[in-house]
Amino acid sequence: MNKTLKIVLNTLIVVASLILLICLFETISSYKYAHREVEDPAETYAGIFDYLLDNHAYGEVLEDYHFQMNQNFEGAPGYENLYRVGEYGHAAFMARVYDEKGDDVRASACRTQMQSVRGELGDYAFTADQIDEMLEKAP
Amino acid sequence: MVCENCKHEIGPDQKFCPKCGAKNVFAEKHEENMQQFAKDYAATEKEVKSFGQAMEGLGKKAAILAALLIGIIVCNILTSMNYADPDEARDAAIRSDAEKNIETYMQQADSLLESGAYMEYVNLLYAHQLSSSMPEEMNRFRQVTYVAREYYECIDEMEQMILRSDDPDYFDGLDTDIETFCMYLDGFYEVYEVQKDSEKDEIYLGYILDMEEDLRAMVRTYLAMDEDGLQEFLNMSEAQKAVKVREVLRHE
Repeated sequence: MNKTLKIVLNTLIVVASLILLICLFETISSYKYAHREVEDPAETYAGIFDYLLDNHAYGEVLEDYHFQMNQNFEGAPGYENLYRVGEYGHAAFMARVYDEKGDDVRASACRTQMQSVRGELGDYAFTADQIDEMLEKAP
Repeated sequence: MVCENCKHEIGPDQKFCPKCGAKNVFAEKHEENMQQFAKDYAATEKEVKSFGQAMEGLGKKAAILAALLIGIIVCNILTSMNYADPDEARDAAIRSDAEKNIETYMQQADSLLESGAYMEYVNLLYAHQLSSSMPEEMNRFRQVTYVAREYYECIDEMEQMILRSDDPDYFDGLDTDIETFCMYLDGFYEVYEVQKDSEKDEIYLGYILDMEEDLRAMVRTYLAMDEDGLQEFLNMSEAQKAVKVREVLRHE
């Protein structure tokens, strides 16, 4: 009886030791994963944003703007330029819709907003001109 | 104790009566008992000692096994903590914030709807996770939210199509955007037809109807259509709509 119990215990100790060893490796790699260097998403996006502007891909800029607004309605730090360009683009887009609809109040509100954002665009003021030009060309 | 023969008092250790010399039966039996007891005691002592020795080894092994099992459990807890999704904590914080500030967000939502900022209204709900799991206090927003979400997708897609890159070397995703837009537009009308009939509140019904007017104006503006052309366009199938939009935007 004692002999059988000893064999069983010895086997369990060997198996548990192997499992513990595997768990230790897993814990070490999970620790490395948790403490890995993560690039700031706003910093990464800054490059993408410039690339989109270089290619006049304002549709994608607006899509990113709406996406960011979905995540952080008040505005996330690091995305200020995207928010300004996006806000301008969306207001300019909607101004024409309201003109067509005959809603002068909202059209005028959009133009006021465009003017206000244009003043804050700084180095990105050219984007407002490009957006206006693209919307003018639209069918 | 007394002698059975002469009734003289004798001690339990005295084997014979000191007066008459008769045998002390009690003393004899007592000695036999004591010898048997000593034998039993020695046997038990031996048994207990040998069992203790055997169990001493097993106890150590059991302790090692228990320590290993505790080690495995600790490692697993640490691993799951390290792999924990940081978004879960963020989402929990957003939900808790939404519960605390529900009144403020409802006022903000009403103000956005009143000013016709339906895109911003949807963004507000998404950002505070009030769209998919709308709390009961926000029941009055339910119908208008269903419609606003579809409206949001239509505007978003049209913006992408109209403000797409004019660089011929840039990735051209217009065809996909057109198909997606037509799908969303049909989706909008499906939801719109149901929700405008089920919305009992005049104010929110007004917003629903206003969103539809916005979309009509948007299609007329950016797809160069008059009211008759728009009506004809809206009656087309999804695939026919896509062909029509492609014709307009690609100048085919």
